[in-house]
Formats: sequence, structure tokens, C-alpha cells
Amino acid sequence: MDTGFLRVLLNPGRFFEARMQDEPSLKIPALIALVIGLIGAVSAALAANLIVGILPAEMQAFGPIMVAFSVVGAVIGGFLTWIVYGFVFYLFSMVFKGQGDLKRTLEFTGYGFLPQVFGGIIGAVFSYQILSGLTIPAATSPEQIAEISENLASILVTDPLAQIAGLASILFLIWSANIWIFGMKYARNLSTRDAALTVGIPVGLFILYTLVTLAGWL
Amino acid sequence: MKPFYLLIISLLCAVAAVAAPASAGPADITVTSSSLDPTVLMKGDTGTLTVAIQNNGAETVAIRSARLYGSGVVPLSESYASVGEIGAGNSKTFTFTVRADGGEGTFYPIFVLDFRDGAGSLRYPVPVQVENTPLSASVIEKPDAFAAGRTADITVRVGNPRPNAASGVQVIPQGTNFTVTPTSAFIGALAADGSGTVVFNLTPTAETTATFQVVWRNGINTHTADLALPIVFGEDKRQADPVITNVEVTPIAGGYRIVGDVMNAGLESARSVLVTPGAPATPTDPFRVYVVGTLDPDDISTFEVTFKADAGVTEVPVVVEYRDDDGNRYTATTLVGIDSAAAPLEERDGGLPVAGIVVVALVALGIAGAIYYSWRRT
Repeated sequence: MDTGFLRVLLNPGRFFEARMQDEPSLKIPALIALVIGLIGAVSAALAANLIVGILPAEMQAFGPIMVAFSVVGAVIGGFLTWIVYGFVFYLFSMVFKGQGDLKRTLEFTGYGFLPQVFGGIIGAVFSYQILSGLTIPAATSPEQIAEISENLASILVTDPLAQIAGLASILFLIWSANIWIFGMKYARNLSTRDAALTVGIPVGLFILYTLVTLAGWL
Repeated sequence: MKPFYLLIISLLCAVAAVAAPASAGPADITVTSSSLDPTVLMKGDTGTLTVAIQNNGAETVAIRSARLYGSGVVPLSESYASVGEIGAGNSKTFTFTVRADGGEGTFYPIFVLDFRDGAGSLRYPVPVQVENTPLSASVIEKPDAFAAGRTADITVRVGNPRPNAASGVQVIPQGTNFTVTPTSAFIGALAADGSGTVVFNLTPTAETTATFQVVWRNGINTHTADLALPIVFGEDKRQADPVITNVEVTPIAGGYRIVGDVMNAGLESARSVLVTPGAPATPTDPFRVYVVGTLDPDDISTFEVTFKADAGVTEVPVVVEYRDDDGNRYTATTLVGIDSAAAPLEERDGGLPVAGIVVVALVALGIAGAIYYSWRRT
């Protein structure tokens, strides 16, 4: 339990402390982001396939292209999320006079995404459950496509299963945040308190936003 | 003593025999008045005719009999077979029960006095008026339209166009398929050209004809007159008229949500207003039914209902139930399209996704354990 990914998940303090002895490397974090992107691509493909069903017959030829775009978008999104989180943590840690290079921050942020792999898998299962229960009528005009898409969004927001999936994603995000606290503590040479604030403020705001969305207040 | 009494009696008889005057002629007897109760008969009515005579002469007049005869108005009682004598200045009345057997008009039955001793007789025609005009009844107030179960106030006026008074006047509603309060109304005596008004609360259960029977007495004779009122259901021009507008259909998990406004475009209040989706839609939680409450005229209220419908359903009725002031229930239905623009969700096995909740609970436990473990090892 002291080696590999399990160490990141269960004993991140020791893991990052050990990683500080080596040169920063983004290979494994990039691999994690790729896996997360691919898992997210499954959900995206399912959703895109559903949207394709709305299109009129003459536009069905664009279906595979839409699915492909969704998959690529999800993969890129995985990387983007990693980088955005890394930059956000880097900027927040500057407030607490954190020291350490950006590459190390990105590396440790990437490791912290590991729980999202499990979260992504469970999220994909939930997405399949939700989307497989939908039947979408074919639209005949762009207005109808827009209206159906809007309705689809409202369905996904109000579906209890979607809300449960949202709760699950928050739980995995909390797990990631826990790892990131240890990561920032070492990557930016912060006290535990400052590391907790560096991670807790942006993640807390994001969780708050997610909860508000799930509750239907937005 | 006995012979003395017999003597006195004999003397008195002798004096009486000597003192008795000779019978006077019919010229001294006059009919001073005649009266009829009731004063005006209707055909078939029985009345009491009273004739008064007076002896205006200075001598007693011996009368053998008094009788009445005639056509149109016939006597029912026996004639006075033995009247006797009527002293000077005295008067006497004779009463006969008569019945109007003829038609309308004024009849003159003959009152005849026969005198004794071949003195002739007195014949006097007594005028008796017969008129068949009944009491008149009319509905002077009723609702514009009747509705099943809705109580209507109906005002009936009874008039007396007869030349004489009517007594014991009452109005009795008759018929089926309605309830009425009061079950009868008493007016009492109505003078000639007088009128009386009664109000009934009538609640029909089906279209029918209500008959208001006017019952009255003319003397001892009971008469009736009917007033028929057709109870035909129709639309009340003032009744509440809930109108649904500003409808927005939104698909939700397991069905649809309809949000809209309901407005009372009528002139009366709609009470206990409920909005529900009707068949083929099946109401679902959380808004199986939306209780609006009371909607006064021109009032508006939002509503929200949730329901599920089969895939082939393109429009569903939104039913507005409301009551009037009497508690009668009405419904108004508006069809709302849930056409192809909506994205219905197939029915999932109802209730909360238990498996999902269990998974999330296990995940939460695992993550809590992992976080606890990570800090414990630090």
C-alpha cells in the first residue's frame, strides 16, 4: 500500500513527500488526464448519440461527426480541466506566498485527479442509465431541435438519478481535494492550513455551484 | 183550585180568538235585503243565499211557505213549508243553499212567499252573480338559466282578478326531479284586485317542469290554478369562467410539468378551484393536483401540474374544477399540446433509484475512510 496509485489515494502525504525527491514529471498525470478524458468521452458519446436522434433524417449523416467531436471534446476537456485546476491552485497559493514551480503544481494536481477515474466510471454508468431511459422524437426544424435540447437539459437536471450522479461526482471531487491539499503543501511549500485554503476555496465554490445547479435553483 | 185554572185558560183562549186580526194582504210584506256568501260564485260553487222580509203593515200577516226556484242557480236546501205569521213591523230571514249550475253571468232565482187564506203570493227575483275568473299566478323572478344541482330563487306572484275576495290562498310546488323549499307557501286572504308574493328555493336534478299550484277558497268551495315553469338547463351568463393561459409544457424526469395561469373571466366567483391533468395523462407527484382556492372575477393565479403520458399522446386535457356559491361543482377543460417539441422520458421503474443511492452511500463511506486514513498516516 506504500507504492503506486494506492499510495496516492490513501497516503498522499507520504507519496508527495517522496515525489519531491525526484524531478517533476507530467507523464503519469497526463496519462491520468487522458484516462479521465476517455471515460468522459463515453458519456459524451452517449449524449451525442441521443442528440443525433433528434436530427431530421437528412441530417443524420452528421451523426458520426457529432459523436466524434464529442469524444475529442471530452478528451481535450480532461486535459483542460487538469490544467485549469493546476493554474487555479498555483494562483491561489500565491496569495499564501507559496513557493515552487508550476510544473510541480501541475504534476501533483494531475495525481490528485486519480479519484476522478473511479468517479468517471461511476458517472458513465449513471449517464447510461439516464440516457437509455430517454426517447427523443425526431425534430423537423431548427426551432424544434433547440426546444428539444432545452427540454433535454431540464430533464437531466430534474432526474433523481442525475442528481445522485451529481452527488457522487462531488464526493469524488472531495476525495481529489483531499489529495490536492497534500499536493499543494509540498508542491508550493505551504502549511497544511494554507494548502487547505488554497484547495478548499476554489473547490468549495465549485461544489457550491454544483449543489445549487442540482437543486434546480439555477 | 182546578176549576179556577180551567176558567182562566178558557177565558184567555176566548180573548185570543176574539182579538186575532184578520190576515193582511201581500202588499205589506216586502223583501228588504238579500245576500249571498260568497258574494260571487264560480260555476259549481255552493253558496248561501239569505233573503230578509219585513211586514210593513199594521196587522199580522200569515205566511204559508217560502221557497226558491230558478235555473242556472238552483236551490239545494228544502223550502220553508210552514212559516207562520209575521207580526206588524217584524222581519224574518230565509236562508237557502244554492249551487251555480249554469255558466257565467247574473242569474235571478225567484224567491216566493205564499200567503194563507188565498191571499196570493210574493215573488221576488234575487240577483246572483257567477264568474269563473280564477286567481292568476305568474313567475316574476327566476335565474337566466338553470343548472343541475344549482339552487335557484323563484318568485311567484298570485293576483286576485275576481270581484270578490279569496281566502286561504296558498302556493304548492309540484313535480319531480327537483327539491324545493318551502314545500308550500301560505298567502292567506286576497282582496279583490289584491296580490301576494312568495319565494321558493328550487334545486333541479334534471330538466323537468315545475308546477306551482295555487289553491284558494271561494266561500266553502276550494279551487286551484296551475302555473307551469319549464326547468331547462342552460349556461348562466354570469357564472364563473376559468380560462387557462400562458401555458408552458416542460418535460421532466418521468413525465411532464405544465405551468400556466388560470383566470376567472366570468362575473361570479369560482370557489375551491382545482387544476388537474385529465386522462389520458396520469397525474404524478409532486403536483398531482394544484389547489388555487377562490378566484374572484378577473382574478388570476398561476398553477403547476405534473403528469406522465404515453409516447403516442400529443395533447392532454387540463381540467379546472370549481364550485359556485351553492357548492355545485363545475369543470372546464383546456387541451394542452405536448407535441413533438417535447422530449418525454420513458417510464423508469417508479420511485427513487435505490441502487444509485446505495452506490453513492458506499462511495461516500469509502471516500470518508480514505480521507480519514490519509490524515491518520500523516
